[in-house]
Amino acid sequence: MTTLEGLSHGLTVALQPSVLIYSLFGALLGTLVGVLPGIGAMAAITLLLPITYYISSEAALVMLAAVYYGAQYGGAVASILLRLPGTPQSAVTTLDGYPMAQQGRAGVALFAAMVSSFAGSMLGIVILVALAGWLGRLATSFGAAEYAAMMVMGLVAASTIGEGRPAKSLSMVVLGVLLGCVGTDVNSGVQRFTFGQVQLLDGINLVALAMGLFGLAEVIGNIRKAERDGPPPHVSLRQLVPTRDDLRRMVAPIGRGTLLGGFFGALPGTGSTISSFLGYALERRVARQPERFGNGAIEGIAGPEAANNSAAITAFVPTLTLGIPGDPIMALMLGALVIHGIQPGPMMLEAHPDMFWGLVVSFGIGNLFLLVLNLPLIGLWVSMLRIPFRWLYPAIIVFVCLGVYSVRGSTFDIVMVAGIGAIGYALAVAAFSPALLLLGFVLGPLIETNLRRALLVSRGDLVTFVERPVACGFVIATAALLALPLLKGLRRRNG
Amino acid sequence: MRRDLYDAAWGGVLALLGLAVAGWAASNYDFGSLRRMGPGFFPVVLGLVLAALGALIAVPALARRGTQRHFAWPETVGVVGSLLIFGLLLNRAGLVPTTALTVLTASAVAPRPGIIWRLVLTVAVTALTWVLFIGGLDMPIPAWPRSL
Amino acid sequence: MTDLRRSLALASLLAGAFVTSAAGAQDWPAEPVHVFVGFPAGSSPDTIARLVAEPLAEAMGQPVVVENKPGAGGVIAIQQMLARGNDDYSFGININGPLTTAPRLIADLGYDPVADIAPVGLIATSPLVLAVGADFPADDVQGFIDAAAEPEAISYGSVGEGSGAHLTAELFADAAGVQLFHIPFQSYAEVTTSILGGEIDSGFMAPSAALPHVEAGTMKMLGITSAEPFAQVPDVPVLAGQAGLPDDFRAELWNAMIAPAGTDPAIVERLNAELNKILKNPEVQDRLLAMGWQAQPGTSEDLAERITDDTAMWGGVIDRTQAAN
Repeated sequence: MTTLEGLSHGLTVALQPSVLIYSLFGALLGTLVGVLPGIGAMAAITLLLPITYYISSEAALVMLAAVYYGAQYGGAVASILLRLPGTPQSAVTTLDGYPMAQQGRAGVALFAAMVSSFAGSMLGIVILVALAGWLGRLATSFGAAEYAAMMVMGLVAASTIGEGRPAKSLSMVVLGVLLGCVGTDVNSGVQRFTFGQVQLLDGINLVALAMGLFGLAEVIGNIRKAERDGPPPHVSLRQLVPTRDDLRRMVAPIGRGTLLGGFFGALPGTGSTISSFLGYALERRVARQPERFGNGAIEGIAGPEAANNSAAITAFVPTLTLGIPGDPIMALMLGALVIHGIQPGPMMLEAHPDMFWGLVVSFGIGNLFLLVLNLPLIGLWVSMLRIPFRWLYPAIIVFVCLGVYSVRGSTFDIVMVAGIGAIGYALAVAAFSPALLLLGFVLGPLIETNLRRALLVSRGDLVTFVERPVACGFVIATAALLALPLLKGLRRRNG
Repeated sequence: MRRDLYDAAWGGVLALLGLAVAGWAASNYDFGSLRRMGPGFFPVVLGLVLAALGALIAVPALARRGTQRHFAWPETVGVVGSLLIFGLLLNRAGLVPTTALTVLTASAVAPRPGIIWRLVLTVAVTALTWVLFIGGLDMPIPAWPRSL
Repeated sequence: MTDLRRSLALASLLAGAFVTSAAGAQDWPAEPVHVFVGFPAGSSPDTIARLVAEPLAEAMGQPVVVENKPGAGGVIAIQQMLARGNDDYSFGININGPLTTAPRLIADLGYDPVADIAPVGLIATSPLVLAVGADFPADDVQGFIDAAAEPEAISYGSVGEGSGAHLTAELFADAAGVQLFHIPFQSYAEVTTSILGGEIDSGFMAPSAALPHVEAGTMKMLGITSAEPFAQVPDVPVLAGQAGLPDDFRAELWNAMIAPAGTDPAIVERLNAELNKILKNPEVQDRLLAMGWQAQPGTSEDLAERITDDTAMWGGVIDRTQAAN
């Protein structure tokens, strides 16, 4: 079956009324759970899974997938309006989205997030269709050495996204990596820093950490301030519309973000949270005026939002073509397929062309629907800012609690959020960057397990990082990233 | 001269935390070697790095004028307290009473007097929560305490 | 007089309450039954639990609520079940690990699999296959063992220290008299990727994890750990009795239904009977098999025996691996 035949075949599958309705329902529900802080696609898919026993396999998968990418749209809303990430992957959108909202440009920020999400998804679909075979091979050609070298590079590249003194930024990255060490060590089975708490064996809950560091810290700091400042001035319709300059600034970041996200999405074990962080770091690196970042740079929204949506699409490649789920949500998708008697794997395309092409086309339809749904909602979201904060924050607290609870039904995690929120607020007051802590937490365990695994695989031979061409490339790039500021400093001193 | 007390304090805390982590890891987990790292390798090395960074933050801060920052104590206590109430009560009291108590506690620290708006808010948020999570998402949480 | 009447009314109320609880086994279940599953929705233990929960609810006329409490390899769900007490409405469907090896691997486990848990019945078992990449030089177990003659020459991936995949491989290595090189991963997906990428040589895994790649010609299955050939992969030879391995060589993962110790024995018996009826249904058996699981109807004593036997067997393997480290 050629690509064109496949697409037209997929169109007939995706346009079946039952499939279409489930797709739209999934996209709608995804947006809703994405907007609610803490509750992400994971929880919604978990709750929907039992329903999928009773509907056709195409409808089931299309619906679950729509929840997944729909949540990526919704996640940005609370990030921009309230500095409260709806999902961990949209945490980075707070960095420039929230300052924009404070400057009265919430509408433009939301517009940028929606359009970048849409463009990232659509281009992601193009990448998926054009490069499915190549992306599938990518997954197996990346070993532990490549992952370790690549993640170290990512960490080094992204360590600069915080403001202020380098020692303070670095301390947050290191603290994040150390927090990532909590739980059962993959390589030895040793339970580290769990202090007898079985609840900590799988580590600290990422959602709890993201909600505590961003959402709650912001709530605490904002209660009195919001009352003093009063609601923001009324936003005219004109201010909702991006300027020509805004649009021009969004184009290149969307392109870069899509490529970056498409790459990381296809790699098992990485995925959309890492994509959005690295997308942000990349934009800051290539920007002519990096100092604009953190103060409402629209590129800081466009890049990461395109990246995480693109990653959400290409994440289906290893899941469908290898039967290898890249993250817990993809593992759920795989489970849903298996329930319907479909075993994804290398034979998937030939054995179940309906499913594969139907899904691909439904991605396009779903994303179009999400754009049409979300653009008119921008006005509504912005008007939410006029609700006095004292009416909002108690509800936010309840939603955060339920969101964290929904991840694995654990009240222990809610108590954790309380503690993390207090610490997060104290860090925020002293101007430490929570984004860097989260980055260290996400990348740290990947670096540690892969570094140690690579050395196990090579039987302790460090040459493995130089011998393998891809790994070597990352090592050289990392060295260059580290050397660049030093060289700049030297030149300044000499010149 | 007012020193940059926040940086000094946090630097100190991070330095001590780093040392504690490194010490605990060194005495409890196998360090291994560079070629065959044990579970203690990362925590020990990074703990020491954190300690060094903490010192780098704290020491210059002592000799520097800091910006005055406001720490919202009552709000911190109220928000953290309301979260603890939610976490500790949910399984025992069910969603509805827990949500109501959480909202009341959280709104107690809002800088606006009056009891009526707090009660209205409590009822509204509790109802919304019930509709969204029990009615809509059908989450497996009991709405009320388990009958005895 | 009113006081007397009031206390009489109270007494009769209490008596009534007493009678209903004494009649519990007959009237049971009078409210929804909760089943705690140690893995997230969509995982195979969850799918098995839901496969059983639906006909169970139908047979008993009360909803069966599947509660996913994932974490610590299934241990959290058992703790949560025990935390609700033996109220006759809290049960668990879990895998073998938390009931057999967990006390050896997890400090502060908080329960004793024998003293604190009443077995209800085994649900299904799954063997593991020994899988290698397609370009692995050997095509059978004997060749694999020959290739592994030099200590640590052959590496294998597992889903973690103390996981079924790890312990099975060590059991195999011990029986075959070879030393394999262990590289832990977090999921079968990672192990498979690593084998396909040529990073590691082999791994013991669920048949359904290897099957798609075998069909695509990128992997080979050299043997299976069940006592008899497995219906999902009938061509894969059993390891027992081959290449010098003992005739009783067997290693299986299983899923079982459990209750807190102290649950009314009549209720446990009723549940076991319903469970067996469900497991004898050919449609249920087929759906289990499609996921790589063999239905295993049996008594609660069978499960108790399984727990004791496996605890002893895996305990021995853990002793040996810990001594080797």
